[in-house]
Amino acid sequence: MSDFQSKFAVGVNPFARQSKGFGNAAIMFVLIACSCVAILVTVGIVMSLIFETIRFFEQVPILDFLFGTHWSPQTALTADVVGSSGAFGAVPLITGTLLISFIAMCIATPLGLASAVYLAEFAGPKVRSFAKPLLEMLAGIPSVVYGFFAALTIAPFIRNSGSAAGFDISSESALAAGIAMGIMVVPLVSSLSDDVINSVPQSLRDASLGLGATHAETVRKVVLPAAVPGIAGSLLLATSSAIGETMIVVMAAGLAANLTLNPFEAVTTVTVQIVTLLTGDQEFDSAKTLSAFALGLFLFVITLALNVIALKIVNHFKEQYD
Amino acid sequence: MLNNSVESEKKMAEVETALNSDGPIIQAKDVSVFYGEKQALFDVNLDFEKNQVTSLIGPSGCGKSTFLRCINRMNDLVDIARVKGEIIIANQDIYAKDVDVVALRAHVGMVFQKPNPFPKSIYDNVAYGPRIHKTVSTKDEMDYVVERSLKRAGLWDEVSDRLDQPGNGLSGGQQQRLCIARAIAIEPQVVLMDEPCSALDPIATAVVEELIDELRERFTIIIVTHSMQQAARVSQKTAFFHLGNLVEHGDTDQIFTNPQDDRTENYITGRIG
Repeated sequence: MSDFQSKFAVGVNPFARQSKGFGNAAIMFVLIACSCVAILVTVGIVMSLIFETIRFFEQVPILDFLFGTHWSPQTALTADVVGSSGAFGAVPLITGTLLISFIAMCIATPLGLASAVYLAEFAGPKVRSFAKPLLEMLAGIPSVVYGFFAALTIAPFIRNSGSAAGFDISSESALAAGIAMGIMVVPLVSSLSDDVINSVPQSLRDASLGLGATHAETVRKVVLPAAVPGIAGSLLLATSSAIGETMIVVMAAGLAANLTLNPFEAVTTVTVQIVTLLTGDQEFDSAKTLSAFALGLFLFVITLALNVIALKIVNHFKEQYD
Repeated sequence: MLNNSVESEKKMAEVETALNSDGPIIQAKDVSVFYGEKQALFDVNLDFEKNQVTSLIGPSGCGKSTFLRCINRMNDLVDIARVKGEIIIANQDIYAKDVDVVALRAHVGMVFQKPNPFPKSIYDNVAYGPRIHKTVSTKDEMDYVVERSLKRAGLWDEVSDRLDQPGNGLSGGQQQRLCIARAIAIEPQVVLMDEPCSALDPIATAVVEELIDELRERFTIIIVTHSMQQAARVSQKTAFFHLGNLVEHGDTDQIFTNPQDDRTENYITGRIG
């Protein structure tokens, strides 16, 4: 009774707000300020992309950009040449981007998935403890290294084997860039898929094994079907990182904006064109440089959409089993 | 090759006759289980009668679930677990070298503590076992097996009009009965149940208990339970485990009215555990 009274003196609100001191407020302020920087920078980048793109579309009609099949921004510089308006049809760039990403995913999907299934389901703890870090080391290699690996090793190999078989293959090809890019995203696919496969509850495996299914049957008929949405998400994330990849394509795929689906020809991508448009001294009001912003915005929208869809799928899958 | 298949057929026939004859269907002889260095089960000797429900009771960590999981070798999945002794089902030691766990588990099915239907349709859940073991060849036959299993599990009337819907969409009690239907679809002789009602509400529990009593006609059932009332209600035989030892076993009536061992009496009267 006396304890109670001493704690709650008569007439004083025991729940009154007390001063928490300066430290609390300062830490709050620093934390909020730091997160605001990241958000504001993102907003600023998107804004500049949008405004510059609008300026670009004042000079070049948007339909020409989206559906034109001819890309040669260089002609726009020389005003005295006939047809000085230049050509800003983005279709060859988009098909080039998609072609290379498609080749990359054709390489990365089987390699990444197979290694994920092996690591998650069949590898013993010993193998896993050294194979997983080793695989993730691939992700630590700078993309410029993949780039010269593609340009100096894969591309000559493809050209030489092509000429041995009697084909004439250029030294810069979509295939070489695609293969290097595929190898680059393997660790992304495998580590994300590995997480997804591990998150399939053990109780489902027990149920299948308890019914007399073998381990392989359990993986094929229970674990993988349950993991499919998450695996799809990881593939989408890998695709969006392949679409945004630049260095490999600059070095191995070439600059020629060919509208082709032939993997042995040189193609170019959205990212490569942005690089070539903006390297060196440029005047920042010509359609040529402004077109880089339009390409950038276009790329941003595509990868953002892919990421949002992928994260939605992965999260939905997680909720299902929590 | 031909010789082999004839021999294996002969062996299968032997197993079938042994399973259909009288006498104990399962005999555990000096079964000990080790998890690494730690011994979890000490020299358990226990026989199970055909078409009876046997309850394994005891406080948490007493080894009853460990023992249950020995009977269809689910302990194989635990890397550090080691089993000593013999478990003889139909004259075969299931821990012998030439035993295929896949075939064993087709004869000894299992229902788990938490309902764990596959994220597939109700139909595919029940059809999973028959498909794996290829016991059914035509679509009509499969329809029949699925219907029969769901009927035996007392679930048919509730789901017959939505067999193509996901099994996870059912209520907890329905999911557990779906898991029972899935386990009995491959016609095992023995069904192991590891606390099948611990995740269910009292009404769903009553339904499952009633079901267990009906299933006894066709299957031998071994059930691990924490609820002594449940053991008393559903089982004919009861075995009491304590600290890894089989303390006492016998008719359920006798165990609950006239226990021979002090530890059993203390447990069922609520003084330990």
